Amino acid sequence: MFVLLRQLGEIRRRARLGRGSGTRWLGVRHVDAGSCNGCEHELGLVTSPLHDLQRFGLDIVASPRHADILLITGPVTTRMAGPLRTAYDAMPTPRLVAALGDCALGRNVLGERTELIGSVERLLPVDIRIVGCPPTPREIAEQLLDALAELGP
Amino acid sequence: MTLLRPVAARAWRAAVSEAIERRGERFGGAWATRDGGWRAVMLAGDEAVVLCCDAEDGRVDSIVDIAAAALWDEREAHDLHGLGFIGHDPLRPLIEHTAELERWVTPVSGEGVHQVAVGPIHAGVIESGHFRFHVVGERILALDTRLFHKHRGLERAAEGLAPDDALKHAGRACAACAVANTVAYAQAVEDATGLWPSADLRRQRTVLLELERLYNHLHDIGAICAGVGFAPGSMAFAALKDRAQELNAQAFGHRFLFGTVAIGGIPVALDPPAAGALRGALRELRADALAGWRDLTFAASMQARLDGVGVLELEDALRMGVVGPAARASGVPLDARVGNRRLVYGGLRPASPPAATGDVAARLRIRALELEATCDMLDELLSLPLARDGASPGRERSPVGVGRVESPRGETVCTVELVAARVARMHLRSASYANWPAVARATAGNLLPDFPLINKSFELCYACADR
Ligand code: SF4
Repeated sequence: MFVLLRQLGEIRRRARLGRGSGTRWLGVRHVDAGSCNGCEHELGLVTSPLHDLQRFGLDIVASPRHADILLITGPVTTRMAGPLRTAYDAMPTPRLVAALGDCALGRNVLGERTELIGSVERLLPVDIRIVGCPPTPREIAEQLLDALAELGP
Repeated sequence: MTLLRPVAARAWRAAVSEAIERRGERFGGAWATRDGGWRAVMLAGDEAVVLCCDAEDGRVDSIVDIAAAALWDEREAHDLHGLGFIGHDPLRPLIEHTAELERWVTPVSGEGVHQVAVGPIHAGVIESGHFRFHVVGERILALDTRLFHKHRGLERAAEGLAPDDALKHAGRACAACAVANTVAYAQAVEDATGLWPSADLRRQRTVLLELERLYNHLHDIGAICAGVGFAPGSMAFAALKDRAQELNAQAFGHRFLFGTVAIGGIPVALDPPAAGALRGALRELRADALAGWRDLTFAASMQARLDGVGVLELEDALRMGVVGPAARASGVPLDARVGNRRLVYGGLRPASPPAATGDVAARLRIRALELEATCDMLDELLSLPLARDGASPGRERSPVGVGRVESPRGETVCTVELVAARVARMHLRSASYANWPAVARATAGNLLPDFPLINKSFELCYACADR
């Protein structure tokens, strides 16, 4: 797949992320709580070899039981509030909650609706905020890494 | 202008069957209104007719035996608007999630039959939705999908707004289909208000729609590679998709082309150098995508995993009203772009794969074919700069407007009812909504571990369907 190799260099240059860090490893569990799928598309690219979040010691894990960070997208629909809570409760402590995208941060285009909880904050304590609609893969990686550097886990 | 054909509730079935059997029209979606109204849009070529009736005592005759594609529409109208459907029995909940298990799953029994429940949260970066498989060992007998975990009430929220303000509701239904959904919505409002898009506006929208198809098809090819665990393919196509989206951002300011569609006009333009730059970059992308595709066709270990998996028979595709690449891969020559006079698709023919086998392999191949056609179309469309232009008034107005667009996943139909220049009802029936029942159909008889692959070969949006 020569195509990949050629693009990889270019995209990595564009992303301008650092070279990766030392010994930290944190598991990230993503939960879609009613997004428009834009945040998922971009998050999917963050963990592909293009931006390669794994080299910063972050990886998407399949179960909340293996996760240190719960990464949530969408305005939290009433129907997803239950499953989201279940996922959070299944996590070991200490744990972090990251709200990804403007919807998750309470700034969705619909405003207050009975179908929506309205933001992650209304359900869970939020530690990390990633703004954008959707944030680009690079913005997701940068904001996540900056927040972790500040929190220092 | 869309014709409105009032029908007495008692004559509802007769009207639908006459439209389908005598006039050869196609069911394009149905929706209820707050005051007990029930509508169905029937499609023929580039024309649309809306049948409307008032339910009697909150009930109307079911049409699912005449138009199987109306199955979800009736279930939705029951759950959200309380309509009853005579003859639709059992009427299983669709959006209503509080019903006990027995009421919404297909009864499947027999020796060794058990259920496997998956979701709504999945093990990856995937949208939320629940699947319930009825299996014997590894063999799937039937699948019940329970979506609408992401139901945000977008349509209800649009009611009472000025048409311009409700545009964002259509746009945020789904990022990956944002252009298709907003163009369909804008067309519906323009249809209702008697506006006709200028030649420049038609070309602009066509460019945006094809750019959306381009990154989606690249994504979908990568997703199928991921479905069989072929990492080089999934990574190469993820990179190509990223490149296509970067071009969107450079040319139009947003990777998903948010904010590029407006009613009766277009908020973006491309001057000659910008159009030329985009055209050049797309040529390079086309060459790399085709090279990547050639690599995939020689990856025997991957190809061997696709044949005969998740077959959707032609007969089922026709009966269930399946649309888009999934329909074409099963041999249905249907593409909403053909003959669409509000866009620029002169001479386009629906793509057909060398063998319309209806399996994962065919759904993959059709995307590669369409990818090339889309690049060629864009090359031609971008030979001129894109000017800001609008739509001209003067066409006949109609209380209901219909917009139809071929999204990356197939025909999306948006209908808008206007009362006193406000949105009384907006209904967005995306291609994903039309095709979800087909995923369950194509899954039956396959092995459980193949489901992610089959699912990815349709690559439907949950967000679009749930709204
Ligand atoms: S923040 Fe934007 S991209 Fe993300 S889910 Fe919300 S509307 Fe979609």
